[in-house]
Amino acid sequence: MAAVNGYAETNNTTAGPNAAPAKQPLPPAKTVDSQSVLKRLQSELMALMMGGDSGISAFPEGDNIFCWKGTIIGSKDTVFEGTEYRLSLSFSNDYPFKPPKVKFENVCFHPNVDLHGNICLDILQDKWSSAYDVRTILLSIQSLLGEPNISSPLNSQAAQLWSNQEDYRKMVEKLYKPPTA
Amino acid sequence: MEVSTSSAFNLGILDTLTDDSIQEISGSYDGFCAATEALLNGAGDLSVGSEFVAHVHALCKHGLDSLVRDHFLRALEETFQRNGAFKFWRHFDPYRGSSELQLKNSNIGEDEVQEVLCKALEEISTEKQYQEKCLLMLVHALQSFKDNSSDGSHNSHSERVHLFSKYQLLVSSVLMASLPRHFPEVLHWYFKESLEQLSTIMAGEFDGDYDDDESEIQDKDDMALDERSKGSYGAGKMEIDESSIQGRFSENNKLVKNIGKVVRDLRNLGFTSMTEDAYASAIFLLLKAKVHDLAGDDYRSSVLESIKGWIQAVPLQFLHALLAYLGESTSYEDVSSGLKSPLASHPSSFYPGSETPSEGLVRWQLRLEYFAYETLQDLRIAKLFEIIVDYPDSLPVIEDLKQCLEYTGQHSKLVESFITALRYRLLTAGASTNDILHQYVSTIKALKTMDPAGVFLEAVGEPIRDYLRGRKDTIKCIVTMLTDGSGGNSNISGNTGDSLLEELNRDEESQENTGLDDDFNTDDKQAWINAIRWEPDPVEADPLKGSRNRRKVDILGMIVGIIGSKDQLVNEYRVMLAEKLLNKSDYDIDTELRTLELLKAGSELGDTALPMDILDATILSSNFWPPIQDESLVIPQPVDQLLSDYAKRFNEIKTPRKLLWKKNLGAVKLELQFEDREMQFTVAPVHAAIIMKFQDEASWTSKNLATAIGVPVDVLNRRINFWISKGVLAESIREDNNHVFTLMEGMVDSSKNVGNSGNCEELVADDEGEKSVASVEDQLRKEMTVYEKFIMGMLTNFGNMALDRIHNTLKMFCVADPSYDKSLQQLQSFLSGLVAEEKLELRDGMYSLKK
Repeated sequence: MAAVNGYAETNNTTAGPNAAPAKQPLPPAKTVDSQSVLKRLQSELMALMMGGDSGISAFPEGDNIFCWKGTIIGSKDTVFEGTEYRLSLSFSNDYPFKPPKVKFENVCFHPNVDLHGNICLDILQDKWSSAYDVRTILLSIQSLLGEPNISSPLNSQAAQLWSNQEDYRKMVEKLYKPPTA
Repeated sequence: MEVSTSSAFNLGILDTLTDDSIQEISGSYDGFCAATEALLNGAGDLSVGSEFVAHVHALCKHGLDSLVRDHFLRALEETFQRNGAFKFWRHFDPYRGSSELQLKNSNIGEDEVQEVLCKALEEISTEKQYQEKCLLMLVHALQSFKDNSSDGSHNSHSERVHLFSKYQLLVSSVLMASLPRHFPEVLHWYFKESLEQLSTIMAGEFDGDYDDDESEIQDKDDMALDERSKGSYGAGKMEIDESSIQGRFSENNKLVKNIGKVVRDLRNLGFTSMTEDAYASAIFLLLKAKVHDLAGDDYRSSVLESIKGWIQAVPLQFLHALLAYLGESTSYEDVSSGLKSPLASHPSSFYPGSETPSEGLVRWQLRLEYFAYETLQDLRIAKLFEIIVDYPDSLPVIEDLKQCLEYTGQHSKLVESFITALRYRLLTAGASTNDILHQYVSTIKALKTMDPAGVFLEAVGEPIRDYLRGRKDTIKCIVTMLTDGSGGNSNISGNTGDSLLEELNRDEESQENTGLDDDFNTDDKQAWINAIRWEPDPVEADPLKGSRNRRKVDILGMIVGIIGSKDQLVNEYRVMLAEKLLNKSDYDIDTELRTLELLKAGSELGDTALPMDILDATILSSNFWPPIQDESLVIPQPVDQLLSDYAKRFNEIKTPRKLLWKKNLGAVKLELQFEDREMQFTVAPVHAAIIMKFQDEASWTSKNLATAIGVPVDVLNRRINFWISKGVLAESIREDNNHVFTLMEGMVDSSKNVGNSGNCEELVADDEGEKSVASVEDQLRKEMTVYEKFIMGMLTNFGNMALDRIHNTLKMFCVADPSYDKSLQQLQSFLSGLVAEEKLELRDGMYSLKK
């Protein structure tokens, strides 16, 4: 038992992308980790608040630090300029070894976002690394808005329209609903 | 009883009556009536006596003795009403309707009232004595009849007692029934006047004894009395032996005898309680005036003893004389003979002319002293605020008050009144925090003297603490006060001397020393003494608060209690300590060490365990220093060279340690030499760097100078003001809008610089923004910035939020350093600040971002 604990300890402190040895079984790590997940999320929140990145923000919802609400503002000089999108982020106990589930809350007309708000972004799936954090997720999604991946669309209509930026802008404005509180 | 038996007796003999006997009865009854009439109105003429006796005998023979008694008494009553009461009251008619105030104002009436009262009393007493003589005659007549008739079983004595008590009742009921409303006032006034006269005479003596000022009463009196009192004043000063007291006593004897006579006469007329009320109230009035007179607004001397002395000297002597004259009337014993006060067993020994004071006198003394204590206590409580303002000087008065309270037990009165005074006079926006703190400390000390258990202190201290918590600069003032009593902070109003902390610790030490003594002598004897010394908590003590906490009044604890959190105190002290250490040019940190040790000791002694360990490490580790304001500064080349040389050597000796200079911190001693003068300064490095530049060039533009010493132009402009104000540099503005500073070589404006010329060493008073260490306010602002960012963050994502939701969210998620520890009210005021800055909007109780 002591050995396991000792392992968990080191595992927590050196939270690098390749810190988790493949041989070690994961279940014991899962149970011990919720405390360290809490700490990590808290420090991420602190960093996010103090970071002062413009156009992105997130905050835990209610009394649960595993559920966050995020806000992204469409970058300037893109078709999404002037829009604001609300996201929901839900973290698992395995965070940061597993990515959080991120969804759009209000309609986003985007090639990589489906009608339910699901996002197709590599770093939220197979390319995830524990070096990413809430801030980088939000920044990635913000840049995804301006630079969609047309090759693997979730919304083919949007993917087709993307080439015509003027019409696309009109479509975005037509479908845009500002997030509600 | 009497009537029913006699009527039954009458009915029995009615049958046996003959005409003759009826004749005889009516004849002798008429005769009896006439004789009674003649006797009572006879004005001393007792010639009808034998006739009267014969008629009485005749009537008694027929068993009509009760008729005789009733008729005679009725006749007495009528006569008394006519000759006694009516005439008596008529004497006082001139005073009818005039209030006491008017009597006081009319000086003419002064002696008149005395005379009138004496005369009236004399008259009515004569009348009464005469009537008593007549009554005695009846008693004798009845007696002689009984002696003649064979049944001598009747007790002559009981007959007399019975009749006389009936008569006494009759007299007082007649007088009471016809009592004019102003008579008690006349009596009261009479006693007041007499007592004042008496006290003037005695006060002369008394003042001689106590070396006091002349009393006010004395001033009011006329010349004759004044002279007399002065005569006795001299006598009293010469010697206060038995004979002098005796002499003074006889001098007053006449007056006392007069009063005594009046009192006795009044008592005879059945005015016992009214008389007593009158002279009691007169005595109390006089005592009250005396207490007010003695206890002026000077709080540096104790007055309790002189008041007690006065009570002994004046009212008690009067009462003593009065009681002696009246032969220790039974009226006192009647009232409460069983209720002998425990204090009465050891009365004071100052009773001239009597070995053991009577119980009545002792009771009077207790009454008077209680009254005096209460009066003085009320007086002092009303002025307690001023008394505490003068605290160390007013200690005698506080001791007085303590004694009074021990006697009267009206502590709650003190607490209530003092809290009201505090609210009204101290806890206002106009009072400076320093003043409030000083008053608080004085209050603690003063109340500690009065009530070592500290129960009332708790009640009184609470409003002050609450108020101080609402002030921003409280912590700073407290720390300043604790650590440096004399200087440093120029706005400290206290006197120079040790810091409060040193003072407190001296007390603590002495307390502890006695504690140690206790520990050393833990033999049975000592334990017994300790047990005897134990006192119960006052009744007012709140049992919930636990009595153990109260054993020692912990001033440091009470002051730290204001702040609420000890961390804040430590923080503020840390900043201050850092500032002090940085400004030292030598390595003499003894005082700082001492203060630190005292703080630690204090925190151990008290209930407040200050986390002072932090302070221990302060000097060693940068982690424990408060954030230091980093300011770039290029210091002059020669000095820089010296510093880096030093750092290099340090590195050589202490490898692998390196010395990194914080070049903008510290203090520099400067000596400026001009053509005609020398000046010395102790300044901050930046000031020194500025002035050093003028060694090479006499004039600099602000831009160039700022570049040369490596600080921003605005900082330079602010810092350079110091030298301009000293008259060392002059500022001028060139055409290209550049500020130019020129060295003032020679005395250009001598009048301005007079104060600074020659050898003057000045410590630069850092104004705000020039502190080398971030102040607590800065830290607080920084904290608030964090909160602001969090609030912005949550509002961005949640749109709008109510106050308590923001509060709860902050509490939940703002947990890292600095964690959120503000109250809802503090948050609200912070939010309204943000609303004012137009960062937020408040609509229907919901905060949202201002778009």
